[in-house]
Amino acid sequence: MNRYSFAERTVHWLSALSFLYAAFTGLAMWSHKLYWLAAVFGGGNATRFAHPWAGILFALVLGVMFRSWAGQMRLDREDREWLLNSHRYAMNQEEGLPDAGRFNAGQKMLFWFQSLAALALLATGVVLWFPEWMPRTLRLIAIALHPLAAIGAIALIILHVYMGIAVVPGAFKAMVHGTVTQGWARAHHPKWLKEKRLP
Amino acid sequence: MTPTVVKLIDTSLCIGCKACEVACQEWNDQEFTIGTFGGTYQTMPDLAPNFWNLIKFNERETDGGLSWLMSKYQCMHCGDPGCLRACPAPGAIVQARNGIVDFVSDNCIGCGYCITGCPFDVPRLSPETKKVYKCTLCSDRVAVGLEPACIKSCPTNCLSFGERTEMLRVAEKRASVLKTDGYAEAGVYNPPGVGGTNVLYVLKDVADPVSYGLPKDPTIPWSVVLWKGPIKWLGTLLLAGGVLGSFFHYLKFGPKHEEADDDEPV
Ligand code: HEM
Ligand code: SF4
Ligand code: SF4
Repeated sequence: MNRYSFAERTVHWLSALSFLYAAFTGLAMWSHKLYWLAAVFGGGNATRFAHPWAGILFALVLGVMFRSWAGQMRLDREDREWLLNSHRYAMNQEEGLPDAGRFNAGQKMLFWFQSLAALALLATGVVLWFPEWMPRTLRLIAIALHPLAAIGAIALIILHVYMGIAVVPGAFKAMVHGTVTQGWARAHHPKWLKEKRLP
Repeated sequence: MTPTVVKLIDTSLCIGCKACEVACQEWNDQEFTIGTFGGTYQTMPDLAPNFWNLIKFNERETDGGLSWLMSKYQCMHCGDPGCLRACPAPGAIVQARNGIVDFVSDNCIGCGYCITGCPFDVPRLSPETKKVYKCTLCSDRVAVGLEPACIKSCPTNCLSFGERTEMLRVAEKRASVLKTDGYAEAGVYNPPGVGGTNVLYVLKDVADPVSYGLPKDPTIPWSVVLWKGPIKWLGTLLLAGGVLGSFFHYLKFGPKHEEADDDEPV
């Protein structure tokens, strides 16, 4: 059965690629120990040049994603209950957790955090982009906030990628081909399956 | 051991001739860009990527008159340079054993972090080359035993150059002479917040460096300290923890079931 439309998958993968590009080029400049990453992306100057553009692309794509998904990402009472018991989800003991809809509460939280991070990264990133034109106070704030937001976003993406590839078999396939089996839907998003079956 | 070198500026002896500015432009082979006229005696309102040494005519109104507090604006060659702390590109900023803080353009990626890291607002980013530039303390001259070009050109001995302990001694002596001349607040500007500077000033009023265009008690900016300290710590912990945590989580719990038993027909 269909899970993600072609448009949804395009947006997802554009955001993933631009994020990874921005993250790796950013990390190169974050620590001398990771500066070798700059060589992978064509050297220090190329890294400095390309990073903000990758970041802008990421922010734009996330804007599109926000418009199409924000409505489905509202947290309801069941989601809150799910979050309070999320340690059980983490230990693969789903019995007793409220049934998840199209997105479970964890995915919804990821969505909101990444949207917030994109906004923060965009605002602080632009300040770092043109240091000559920016007031000193703004630069001082941006230089601390930009890596902070980036680290938070990257940590969440590590978790997200790990879950999508390793913890939930079938999820990666869903994001590539757009389809899942009914069994998969019943196991991971039962409420969504029920809604879909309604005429 | 390599001795630390110091440039000493006795502001009370500066006559504003700007010979040092010319010498700096000449030695470093910089074209002079005509700037804007700011209504003062200064050559330029500010430092520029191709203008590293500015004699400032700080105007101070006195009873019924005007006095100039002369000062020389350039890189301070800090003991603990904020620019170096902020720089992401290894080798783009180097602190030599003789104390000179030098920018190596070949390694600079033009991010401008050093501009934010510098407590004295010294580095300037060139829009053409996308690299930063500032006073090198004539590291190329010092390396072969010459004094910096500005020192060489100064006609009044306002500028002198030498080994750090010796220069500190000379500076204190000059300050005490000024004190006996009636400048009770005279003293040496060598801010400890940036690990001392290898450019020292003798000021007639050391309690009020701001009038000379010098910050009072400069330190490495708080956010740079935060960024290169706790934030970096937290980040390393989160990233390494995320990767290792995922790995061990998988070992312990493994994947979820791919499918629930599909016993219900659609
Ligand atoms: C949204 C638009 C973004 C803009 C305009 C932007 C801009 C910048 C700029 C100008 C810098 C300074 C170095 C350089 O110029 O390359 C920087 C550093 C950095 N960026 Fe971004 N960025 C953006 C998004 C992102 C994203 C999505 C990430 C990845 C999570 C990220 C991670 C980083 C990191 C880790 C650094 C290094 C921070 C440090 O040196 O501590 N940025 N960014
Ligand atoms: S602009 Fe150049 S010297 Fe300054 S922090 Fe960036 S890489 Fe280092
Ligand atoms: S004055 Fe600024 S540019 Fe010069 S060494 Fe100190 S921090 Fe670096």
